[in-house]
Amino acid sequence: MLNELVYDFAIWLDDSAWSTLLHESYYMYNWVESIHVLTLIVCLGMLFMIDLRMLGYALPNIPASNIAQRLNAPMLVGFTVMFITGILLFYAVPVRSSQSVWFRLKMALLVACAVNAYLFHKRMNESVASWDNNAKAPKRIRMGAALSLGFWSLVVICGRFIAYDWFDCEYTDPNSFSQFLSGCIAGQTRY
Amino acid sequence: MISFLSLNRRTVGLAVILLVVILLEALEVRASIYPGLLPYFEWLKNSSWLGYLGTTYGSVYATVEAGHLISMAVIGGTILATDLRLLGVLFRDIPSEIITAGTFKCFKVSLVCAIATGIFCAAGVADKVYYMEVFWIKMLTLLTGSCFMIFIKQPLLSSRPHSEINPWILRLLAVTSILIWFTVAATGRWIGFS
Repeated sequence: MLNELVYDFAIWLDDSAWSTLLHESYYMYNWVESIHVLTLIVCLGMLFMIDLRMLGYALPNIPASNIAQRLNAPMLVGFTVMFITGILLFYAVPVRSSQSVWFRLKMALLVACAVNAYLFHKRMNESVASWDNNAKAPKRIRMGAALSLGFWSLVVICGRFIAYDWFDCEYTDPNSFSQFLSGCIAGQTRY
Repeated sequence: MISFLSLNRRTVGLAVILLVVILLEALEVRASIYPGLLPYFEWLKNSSWLGYLGTTYGSVYATVEAGHLISMAVIGGTILATDLRLLGVLFRDIPSEIITAGTFKCFKVSLVCAIATGIFCAAGVADKVYYMEVFWIKMLTLLTGSCFMIFIKQPLLSSRPHSEINPWILRLLAVTSILIWFTVAATGRWIGFS
């Protein structure tokens, strides 16, 4: 039921002229994809600096709260542009993207990243005064930073895997496990 | 003469490097080296275990590609944190010496990771990238960026308090660094489309 709703929504997007134009425009699509990757470098670069500070590998002489506060703004700018270009990339290829195992896994991981970021900041704000100048954050905060590094690395790997057609509905056996994960629709004609 | 050279070592060194590059280009040394590199690229793709892994296992190739992107993100983070501080955009209340020193180790480690993963990625498509102009632009920019960081920017920034360096020199260093590494990242992305 949910898979059919997603499929119908993707078909509706795919039918729009702008989606076709964006998909078929060599330069526009490449520009959007390039901006997505370059802003990912800005966003993750800033985020990883915060995480590496908590783990004691970068900028150990600067108060942790200072790093987290100052790098948050450029990170969010990068994230916003990355998010917008990500939506555009989905809009350009909606059916295949919505039925990609890797895309679905990436979305789940993004939710995990958001929850982890919320908990990380909550825990940090509660206790930062007692360890702000320490080279390494307490174990619980370090765990959050390590999870953030791990989740975002998996997001990047899944993003890279979307380009490959290993588990595409078009090429896998009907009723296979990968078709279940991809949310393929029986008898679908568009991919 | 000797005192002039010892006082302006970096400037003279940079001028010599530029002169050598111009001479190499004028004498068509680069053009003569290029065809000789093809056998190495063919060997990398067809005979090396790197090329075998990259062409046989798509998932390994894609994972290493993601690792390359993550390394580039860490490089981007260290470069932006340092250079935006030098430009007075970020961390204005923290001495730029601390930011410069605190990010350089991460920069070095991530640069090594980016080069290692980059060699693997290039090995899988060596016969293709050899003919790509954008690939060679990226390699030259990467070499320029690494030399700029290791031989010019870092020695200058760690040699004396930044308050003793002309602020315009600091800004110039930061803008040059951002432009070089942006070009490395952008040309890397463009290799995928070529």
